[in-house]
Amino acid sequence: MKRFPVLFAAALFSTVGMAADSVTVTQKGLVFTPNELSIAKGQTVEFINDDATAHNIVISGDGVSFNGGLQPAGGKIKYTFAKSGTYVVGCGVHPKMKLTITVN
Amino acid sequence: MRKVVHSLRLVHSLVWMLAGLCAIPWAARAADGLAPRPADSSALQSLRESFQRPSAVPAPKGNPITADKVALGRTLFFDPRLSGSGVISCATCHNPGLGWEDGLAKGLGHGGFQLGRHTPTILDVAFGEPFFWDGRAATLEDQAKGPLTSTKEMSMSVARALPLLSSIPGYVDAFSRAYPGQAISLDTIASAIASFERTVISNEAPFDRWVKGDDRAISDAALRGFVLFNGKANCAVCHSTWRMSDDGFHDIGLHDADLGRAAIAPGIVQLERAFKTPTLRNINQRAPYMHDGSLPSLAAVIEHYDTGFETRPSLDTNMRRLGLTKQEKADLLAFLDTLTSDDDPVVLAALPR
Repeated sequence: MKRFPVLFAAALFSTVGMAADSVTVTQKGLVFTPNELSIAKGQTVEFINDDATAHNIVISGDGVSFNGGLQPAGGKIKYTFAKSGTYVVGCGVHPKMKLTITVN
Repeated sequence: MRKVVHSLRLVHSLVWMLAGLCAIPWAARAADGLAPRPADSSALQSLRESFQRPSAVPAPKGNPITADKVALGRTLFFDPRLSGSGVISCATCHNPGLGWEDGLAKGLGHGGFQLGRHTPTILDVAFGEPFFWDGRAATLEDQAKGPLTSTKEMSMSVARALPLLSSIPGYVDAFSRAYPGQAISLDTIASAIASFERTVISNEAPFDRWVKGDDRAISDAALRGFVLFNGKANCAVCHSTWRMSDDGFHDIGLHDADLGRAAIAPGIVQLERAFKTPTLRNINQRAPYMHDGSLPSLAAVIEHYDTGFETRPSLDTNMRRLGLTKQEKADLLAFLDTLTSDDDPVVLAALPR
């Protein structure tokens, strides 16, 4: 029984640590949520397609030109931002979808 | 009494249709991207609300709409002197009497040259970025520059257009009112044309009145068509929002080799032969249909989506054989007819000399 608080604390720490390393962006209703994001250098953003249609993550800025390929409904794509700068994330299928990510 | 029985029958049949939607993979999307599964009348009400028209017309921060810009843009839009031949204006292809299209399968440009694609409407274009069938123009201002300077379309060089406009006192006055302190340039020409185009907005159609709560604004057949549009026929997966367009790019299996969006954004198989989803506003006034103008009627369009498309790797994943009955096809046509509005007469400007 004495070990329970220790395990609980470890689990809580682990969860907090994961949140700091990875940020989630959803694609739902043909919009990114959030549509502006500020993260630290080296952090990973996970894009989750919650729409019933396919999307296509494209990232540009500061020398980066990333095309994630077709992202089916329910699909997830991760990208790690290694350099500081400002990046624009869009959708090749639905160009109205836009997200700005500032990497500090 | 007979009318009441008829209404009860309609409600009964719609409930069955809505219930049936739950049994198929649901992919319909409405204004917020994804519609809920319509299991009951509250779901129908939710769908209905998701097609509400916006209350304001958007304009970019760098080009707010003013009356002077719109007046100038209207004049430029209808002025054939802005073409190399002197006989083609923007309105030649975007004819207000033909749903702001030209009624041709593919547009005709300079010297009668047949262009590669069907002329898209400019109706409600204020809401529809990006522009062109392949989305190559991010803004309406950029779009306006394209046909004007294309040697295949209006074939007007900037070097010729600017002195021409500067030599016409009426234009000099109009530009100075719309853009005080700025020289006449391709940018101000495009800005004015875009400002005018942002005022080309469809009026309320019967469908809009139904969305606002007038249950008698559309027929029973149209209501059944609306449910099909969002369900079995799977139209709303791309024809979403009040304009019935997701402004996205999809290959719908037309028998045409045009690469479409893939030529602009290469690297994704599904963007090959993909074209922008057109608005369905006033759609029954805008035949022929599709980016290649290959389908002469809305009935032919429905047949295409039902069974007529070509299966290939780039085909949009939402395309599937629909198995529509004759009655369902008629209901869809009845619904599409409710998207046509009685628009205001177009005011033509006297061209300055």
